[in-house]
Amino acid sequence: MIVHKNKPKNIIYRQIDILKATVLATYKEWAAYRSHMAISIFVGPVTFLVQVFIWNAVYSTGNTVSGLTLNQIITYYGVVTIINYLTYDSADWNLQMLIQTGKFITFMLRPVSHCYYAFCQKLGHRLLALWVEFIPVYLLFLLVFKINLVPADLFWALISITLGFILMFLMNYCIGITGFWLTKTEGLRRAFILLRDLCAGVLVPLTLFPGFMQKILFFLPFQFITYVPTRVFIGSYELAGISLPIPYVVGMQAGAVIVMFLVYKLLWFLGIKRFTGVGA
Amino acid sequence: MISAIKMHLQGIKTGLAVRMAYRADFIISAFIMLISEFFGPLLTYLIYNNEASLPGWSMYEVLLIQGVFLLSKGISFPFFFGIVWNTLDRVQNGTFDLLLIKPRSVLQMVIVTGFDSEDLGKLIGGLALTGIALYRLPRPGLSEWVAFIGLFVISLVVMFGFALILAGLGIVWIGNYRVYEIFSSIANFGMYPASIFSKSLQTVITSVIPVAMLGFIPASALLGKPYENTLYAVIISFMFLFASLLFWNTTLKKYTSSGG
Repeated sequence: MIVHKNKPKNIIYRQIDILKATVLATYKEWAAYRSHMAISIFVGPVTFLVQVFIWNAVYSTGNTVSGLTLNQIITYYGVVTIINYLTYDSADWNLQMLIQTGKFITFMLRPVSHCYYAFCQKLGHRLLALWVEFIPVYLLFLLVFKINLVPADLFWALISITLGFILMFLMNYCIGITGFWLTKTEGLRRAFILLRDLCAGVLVPLTLFPGFMQKILFFLPFQFITYVPTRVFIGSYELAGISLPIPYVVGMQAGAVIVMFLVYKLLWFLGIKRFTGVGA
Repeated sequence: MISAIKMHLQGIKTGLAVRMAYRADFIISAFIMLISEFFGPLLTYLIYNNEASLPGWSMYEVLLIQGVFLLSKGISFPFFFGIVWNTLDRVQNGTFDLLLIKPRSVLQMVIVTGFDSEDLGKLIGGLALTGIALYRLPRPGLSEWVAFIGLFVISLVVMFGFALILAGLGIVWIGNYRVYEIFSSIANFGMYPASIFSKSLQTVITSVIPVAMLGFIPASALLGKPYENTLYAVIISFMFLFASLLFWNTTLKKYTSSGG
């Protein structure tokens, strides 16, 4: 048993064991609060209903807005809603609370990277959300609102959503790391969430923004969290007058994930030196 | 009455003092509260900027509805809507018991200790948006202003009703902060002209859950084109408050504690 403990194969097995244990523990922990999560079954469709009425009224005076038809814009909002259930993340809040309360010190003693642990927690949390939030709302949209929620290409849609899932985690985790400098990061968190949702296309399709804004948004990483997975799901990508093939966009998304991972590594390297905790 | 006002002022003072321990975070949070409320108006701006519109309504008329809605939130959220998070937090931590043994009504105590200074950002945002919209619209007459003020006070009544329901839910649904999302999703209907919704939905938002009173109805009065069922909505708003109080008292009686 001890002889092979440092072999790469054993390290991988160990990481898989950690992943399974953390995912299961988080799943069970949150399953106790599944009714909290199930609020989405009400909130998602009601919020969506408002959008349906707004856009129906808007399109009653014309056929297209910014090149999008009514059907396309309604589908966009439907897809955004369900993708958000899959990629939702609270790593920023969790980490800043651990730092603020000093409980983070216990993680420095554990033989596991906190980032990896937090990622596994997210997997467990979203696994629960899959049947409590995603599937019921998906069926509601499909059967009640009659929205086409079948991805244009399942393979690319799954890859893009997975990359969006990882990118959302890394970005939020980096915000959590700022807790090493700021201790209480509530304001910064809110500011970031606001900026992220606005620039990721959660509020409106990014093509509705004025031209110069679209050009800025094209070079920001936020579009890769929601806008890109949504457009990949629908089967076409366009922003700032630039249309790109789906594999190319997904490749860019993968690039954004790698860059964000390097940013996380750098922030962690600088931030961890500042942490002090007593007792906790 | 004077002692009640003194108590509320003391609550505000304490709330501000506590929040000032992290001044920079407070300022950022208040600013973000202001900005986050501009998602609705931004959507309106983008719609009109793309040469589309909500039929029968100009951009500034829609922005006025949203400004009034924000103004109503800007007053209610700092000064009494805090009963929601205050109740949720106290019930979850077990400190709700402390309010039960005070020589004042539980509701008053929960309002006083629930002052939320960060939400003052909403008030500033509401004032700014309403001011900008009014500047671009024809000046309302005295009668419009009087009708608006009366209806705006009733919008606060509806807000209070919502706060009571959500706080009541917080007693029986421990630690569920997502009740705010329930409110936000429903309240969205009050941010737009009722005419864009179907007839049945218009009936719901004026005669069942009077969310139209939160923004649309007072703003319509100020614009000089009052909603046809305004009087009916006013009566329903008071009935809504009564039902909310009943709900709050019922859930309060159901409160059980393990001692904190």
